[in-house]
Amino acid sequence: MALLVKQEHGMANATTRTAVTRDLIGLVAIIVVAGIGYLLFPNNLALLTRIIAIAFLVLSLDLVTGFCGIATLGHAALFGAGAYAAGMASVHFGINEPITMVMVGLIAGAVAGLISGAVVLRAHGLPQLVLSIALIHLFHELANKASSWTGGSDGLSGITPDPLLGMFEFDLWGRTAYVFGVVLLLIVFAVLTRVVRSPFGMLCRGIKEDPIRIRAMGGAVQSTLLRMYIISGAVAGIGGALNAISTQVVGLDSLSFTLSAESLVMLVLGGTGSLYGGLIGTVVFMWFEDLVSAANPFHWLTMVGALLILVVLFAPRGLYGSAAAYFTRRGERR
Amino acid sequence: MKRYIMAAIAALALSSAAYADTIKVGVIGPFSGPFALQGKNFKAGIDAYIAVNGNKVGDHEVEVIYRDVPQPDPAQSKALAQELVIKEGVQYLAGFYFTPDAMAATPLLKQANVPMVIMNAATSAIVTKSPYVVRTSFTTWQTSTPIAQVARDKGIGKVISVVSDYGPGVDAENAFKAAFETAGGSVVEAIRIPLATNDFSPIMQRIKDSGAEAVFAFLPSGPTTLGFVKAYNENGLKEAGVQFLAPGDLTQESDLPALGEAATGILTTFHYAVSHDSPENKAFVEAASKAIGNPAELSFPSVGAYDGMHVIYKMIEATGGEQDAEKAVEAVKGLSWQSPRGPVTIDPESRHLTQNIYLREVAKGDDGKYYNKEIQTFENQGDPGLTAGK
Amino acid sequence: MQTVFSVAVDALAYGMVLFVISIGLSVTMGLMRVVNLAHGAFAMIGGYIASYAVRDLGLGYAAAVLIAVFGTVLIAIPIERLLYRRIYGSPELTQVLMTIGITFCIIGIANYVFGPTLKTIPLPAELQGSVDLGFRSIATHRIFAIACGLAVALGLWYLIERTGFGVKLRAAVDDAAMAAALGVRTDVVYAVSFAIGIGLAAFGGVVGAELLPVEPYYALRYMVTFLVVVSVGGAGSIPGALLACLVLGGIDTTGRYLWPEFGEFFFYAAVIAIICVFPRGLAGRAR
Repeated sequence: MALLVKQEHGMANATTRTAVTRDLIGLVAIIVVAGIGYLLFPNNLALLTRIIAIAFLVLSLDLVTGFCGIATLGHAALFGAGAYAAGMASVHFGINEPITMVMVGLIAGAVAGLISGAVVLRAHGLPQLVLSIALIHLFHELANKASSWTGGSDGLSGITPDPLLGMFEFDLWGRTAYVFGVVLLLIVFAVLTRVVRSPFGMLCRGIKEDPIRIRAMGGAVQSTLLRMYIISGAVAGIGGALNAISTQVVGLDSLSFTLSAESLVMLVLGGTGSLYGGLIGTVVFMWFEDLVSAANPFHWLTMVGALLILVVLFAPRGLYGSAAAYFTRRGERR
Repeated sequence: MKRYIMAAIAALALSSAAYADTIKVGVIGPFSGPFALQGKNFKAGIDAYIAVNGNKVGDHEVEVIYRDVPQPDPAQSKALAQELVIKEGVQYLAGFYFTPDAMAATPLLKQANVPMVIMNAATSAIVTKSPYVVRTSFTTWQTSTPIAQVARDKGIGKVISVVSDYGPGVDAENAFKAAFETAGGSVVEAIRIPLATNDFSPIMQRIKDSGAEAVFAFLPSGPTTLGFVKAYNENGLKEAGVQFLAPGDLTQESDLPALGEAATGILTTFHYAVSHDSPENKAFVEAASKAIGNPAELSFPSVGAYDGMHVIYKMIEATGGEQDAEKAVEAVKGLSWQSPRGPVTIDPESRHLTQNIYLREVAKGDDGKYYNKEIQTFENQGDPGLTAGK
Repeated sequence: MQTVFSVAVDALAYGMVLFVISIGLSVTMGLMRVVNLAHGAFAMIGGYIASYAVRDLGLGYAAAVLIAVFGTVLIAIPIERLLYRRIYGSPELTQVLMTIGITFCIIGIANYVFGPTLKTIPLPAELQGSVDLGFRSIATHRIFAIACGLAVALGLWYLIERTGFGVKLRAAVDDAAMAAALGVRTDVVYAVSFAIGIGLAAFGGVVGAELLPVEPYYALRYMVTFLVVVSVGGAGSIPGALLACLVLGGIDTTGRYLWPEFGEFFFYAAVIAIICVFPRGLAGRAR
């Protein structure tokens, strides 16, 4: 373990400058894209905010799937926990301060991550996938049963967040929610770039590549993965809280298998194992879905299916992964 | 300062919409996915209304914009409603098959100055969420209450209630229980089963064991209802004479070809049957069948959509095409007309329809097709769900 | 006591129907290592073909089953050539993306071609009605489904364990390169076993249609059920899948009889418990 960490420190030092530059470029890119989105679609900020909220979920999924190699089709449990916690804080406890609501979502997401991790890490491969499916159904049923708290299948409505910092109201046009979402995303992204490059992040990657070797080197596989699961839960919980604040309603769909599967599709579409892949996958998938479902609300599913097939055929590592690989190859050739 | 700028932008956006010649109506519904059939019926009802009455109210052309929310998804519904209002500049929001989707959009109405016409979502409380909500469908309380009287009239004293464990199911259970117990019957057992149930044999065993004379059921239409009705037959409950009672969602016309013989004898109460005998309905069915393509797919959401369009046309008439949600809603309060389902009135208090509820029995017609045969009328039924205090 | 028997019969019937519908997935997923989420889509195609054959062409039930199985395989061949071949050996997540894409497309096309209503497959007179077991009656088609399940289980077991093809298949699964070097035409073996998997999906779709009715959303609605059953059994194991179906069918049916309100809890709690005890599925092989 010590050896590994030392080695990583050496590696980290050598590449720190380029890595920091790259992260800065990444953050600037997010700001630029967010700004362009604001200018190009000023009338569609609700969709853009929703994309950001889902981006948290996909980033969070990337942490466990892309960096730790855990297969899960139940990740919406973490997102939904955050959404319901933030919503219930507002509806039942009168906590309407948006930043506090996000913190509540973060904590609830982390707790859900702990529970999910404790169950899902008990198997590998396909059985692991099925554990996660069982888990999301249990979460869903629980929320449905506790309808006096969650509103059941009618949804939890009556969430009334206060103006942000006492100044900016969450209104019809959704500007406040959008800017709030972008700022949250920047903060989380900056933190995550550090996390994945830290010795801890490297250890997770190592476990993904070869858990037996890591164990032989004295690394605590289960507890490391569980810690990553908790971090992942916190990230998803922030997304859930953002969703609850911006839409002011939480439905059972936020704890559904469908949302879990969709987030996995978005992640794989963008490319696993890189934070950028998660972001790009979310933006492309949701933007494409909005485009085709508005163009033909009746038969758009076929188009989405075709997109997924085309991506597998022509960009098997996902959009970002394949593009990155292409440029690396070109770079090497030179 | 910020607020003034926003107000200015809002005024600009709204005024430009108000004087435009085209009036846009945004319709949100399930147009793909597991409930695509119901969304298709929305569109058929809207198309039928436009086919019969033209797409113009005075000088104003009406344009309908559809947005798809395949499954209950309040966040998505709200985002789309926002998009419709701000980007597309719709003056009316309509559709809404699921209660949570409608609930999610109600907080927008006041700020957006847009009325909402609900064409299906059947939970009583939605109309209380905003004064700009008008509903042209039914509520589960409204359609589930009369069946209790029917059961008592047939001399049934003990009933077991079986519903799917979600909002409408729970509503139906409560409505039936309240009405049946008031009428002097007893609900011996009330079972709520998970939505995702494939095999109903164990439930049938429960019904048998309960010793009830009849079963009251509410499940989502489609595969779930089909499975339940089949199991009811195969496990000998029909032979044993256990009467099947339900609100009419279960025997919607589009499911009858699949249900077939198994459904005959089921008693339901509902606001609309495609077979309803009136000149208005004949004209409606003809237009809607043409709009939907395959007449066998026609069922109740189409009539909610048809009447919804009627209300929207009246609103446009009253406001002269200007965007004024309050005036629009005020104008249709107390409005009465002959709907394809019979005479209806918008109750000025609740903004929900007062309408006839019919007792129907699934029967085989002379042409060999199954239909809901209306055998009794409960006139001018309001919505008991609101006073029941949920 | 009578109730216990009665519930047991229901459990057996439900478990066997699950088995018939899911076993094709166990073949593609366990033997070919393809996470085929489009399994339900192929079962649905089988159901649609059979429904069309009986209702519109007026063919008999047996003929409809045959046409459905071969028709579905025929439809699947170009899909295998063009799409599946590209994902053999790919990471699981890539396979998930591809097969979900295929499922979306098939749902969209089915909705467009057949419309969103339920389609039934009328049963022949022999399979209608019910059989008296003495203490209760059971629908004849359920007995038929049980028989089909047993026949499929026996047939597959014989094919895999006792025939030359089975030897080649097992060799190709365990070490494709070595098998190829020893002269096994692995591409042919793969193509044939893919066809078997799809044919079984279609067969299950038709036989199970009484319980899981055919409509466009079928392909996604039951995907989780299929995946759970196969994984709990241990992908690729015929006895494992059979055992899983009977155990899960039993738990599901009993749970729904005793505590219908918590039916879902029971089923998924049982799934978690089983996988925690048998992390590779009931009959999973160590790899």
